[in-house]
Amino acid sequence: MVVVRRRWFQAPWEFRESALFTAVSVIAGFVIQAAASGQGIAMPHLPYNAIALLFLAVLVISTGLAFRNTPAVKWFGGIPLGLCLILAIAVLSLIGGIIPQQSAAKESLPTLLGLNQIFSSWPFAVTVLLFLANLGISLSWKLIPFKLQNLQFILFHAGFWIALSCAIFGSSDLQRLVVPINVGKANNLGYTMESDTPQQLPLSIFLHDFSLEEYPPQLLLYDPHNDKLMMNKAQAILEVRKGTTASWQGIEVLVLDYLPYALPGKDGVPQSADRKTGIPFAKVRIITPSSQRDAWISTGSPMLKPDAAQLDGFYLIMMPGTPKSFRSAVTIQDEKGHEKVANLEVNHPVSFMGWKLYQMGYDEKAGRWSKLSLIEMIHDPWLPAVYLGFFMIMAGNILFFWNGIKRTEVVK
Amino acid sequence: MNFNTAAELAIVCWAIGSLLSLLANRTPALKLPAFLLSIAGTLIMTGFIAFYWSALDRPPLRTLGETRLWYAALIPLVGFLVEYRWKIGWLKYYCMALATFFLSINMLHPEVFDKTLMPALQSPWFIPHVVVYLVGYVLLAASSVTALHNVYLQVRKKENSTGESVSHFLALLGFVFLSFGLIFGALWAKEAWGHYWTWDPKETWAFLSWLAYLGYLHAFRYKIDRSKLQWYLALAFVVLLVCWFGVNYLPSAQNSVHTYTQS
Repeated sequence: MVVVRRRWFQAPWEFRESALFTAVSVIAGFVIQAAASGQGIAMPHLPYNAIALLFLAVLVISTGLAFRNTPAVKWFGGIPLGLCLILAIAVLSLIGGIIPQQSAAKESLPTLLGLNQIFSSWPFAVTVLLFLANLGISLSWKLIPFKLQNLQFILFHAGFWIALSCAIFGSSDLQRLVVPINVGKANNLGYTMESDTPQQLPLSIFLHDFSLEEYPPQLLLYDPHNDKLMMNKAQAILEVRKGTTASWQGIEVLVLDYLPYALPGKDGVPQSADRKTGIPFAKVRIITPSSQRDAWISTGSPMLKPDAAQLDGFYLIMMPGTPKSFRSAVTIQDEKGHEKVANLEVNHPVSFMGWKLYQMGYDEKAGRWSKLSLIEMIHDPWLPAVYLGFFMIMAGNILFFWNGIKRTEVVK
Repeated sequence: MNFNTAAELAIVCWAIGSLLSLLANRTPALKLPAFLLSIAGTLIMTGFIAFYWSALDRPPLRTLGETRLWYAALIPLVGFLVEYRWKIGWLKYYCMALATFFLSINMLHPEVFDKTLMPALQSPWFIPHVVVYLVGYVLLAASSVTALHNVYLQVRKKENSTGESVSHFLALLGFVFLSFGLIFGALWAKEAWGHYWTWDPKETWAFLSWLAYLGYLHAFRYKIDRSKLQWYLALAFVVLLVCWFGVNYLPSAQNSVHTYTQS
């Protein structure tokens, strides 16, 4: 049998031409990036980005439909080019997955080529744009004429097109502002991640209270000579409670009493106090082969020094528990007099007049006693469109799964 | 219930189950006890996960070691599924061996019993996001092993169209789960961190592994030589491995929100 090899650029174009085209496009992207001296792309805001996206969508779909039998368009919407573009996006993402994405020295090669901000660089933009064109053209062929058997293809590909394009074209309209507020005060100024100059907010937030709940404190044995925490025999984080027992080599510890909120009393014995001021205290019995004694230990706080028990060159210490939850009680108000009283907590954002408010952070040095709460405000008008894309992908995937399960015969 | 006891019991079940299953080629009566023992190993691990979950007061999905428990329970199931669906028996041995390997790592490096769960993880999305990914990884691991086996058969020039079909369908199902995991993660991220996509290194690698299988499915559609694609499937899993734990060691991961707790 004689295998006739297709020559370069002999119709129909396949992988070789697609790979060359993709490589040239990516290199062109890097050249533009370097020529623009490392400047990324500035996407216009609403409504201009929406108009541009609509224009792209109409252009791609109509090109696909009008020239569906033209070899060049057939190639442009075909799988070989699609695969090469997927590979190019994968390679660019790989760069982004290895090189830390943060600002580097201005004149350095990574900055010049956009390697440290690959996802907003020209090569990435060029590749994604070509990918959207390729995906859109192939979609147009399956959309018209519509057939039910193409539903899975349409849902998945259209969903991906919508989610990807709206995420990219809408990125300029995403507003993220961090609002620091002290308890008992209101704030209507926010900060972006990029600049230190505050921005006027369309609303103001009053912080009534910030509260943080911790997990129970932990019992640890500290070895000061090696600056090391010793792991106990049970290999467990030891939560301090009345009756907790722990053992290290040769040392047994029993928690005789535990006061979650207490303050040192006059005679040295801690007394229960209220939640706001008290700190955890525990009375422990320490048994070593040669001795037995009782001692009070505490976690300490920004105001109080911690109490540790010394034994045989080690220290038995009590560490404050890690944060379990923290929340801000706020009143949000806008200029038109709309008002909302809400509790902001991690994973429980609150919506208000097109904004979403998130509990972001607090003064970590002060911990439970923090008087500062960091609230993040986010406005993303393109979110519904991106979510529509996500749900279409998921719907397409359910059909894909169903077909995958159903077809058990050997594929020929 | 002690982890070592549960793990040893499960491994013994898998070992005897595998042995009986091999003997069943000659003595068909052993088929049923072999299957029951193999499945008992997985049931023991499932029981242990349930027990551990209630002892921890949180889903045991926070550390790498905890995810290995789930893999140990789930991977053999894929082996049984493939045998039931495509009448291919050898995969389950690999699967049980892999599960044994995961449990052994956990026995050699005991986990610290830690009940705490940071606020960002306290979300209804936590379980679906991670479990969907676990199932996806398990299916793709099986796909990769099958593909490797197919490559081996090719080298020995043996006819094997069922094997190629199995690696394909496992990859297809795995891809569906990866897609769901990715989107669940995006929806959760919006609630917890404010935005659905931030190119966090783990996200980037999850996207890369998704692209790898997206590429595979398109190459398959385009009728690229099936036997060459077995190499692709066998190697695609490497990207998943980087995503699962390799990310922790990459320079880009310094500020990731996704690195598993090291304990």
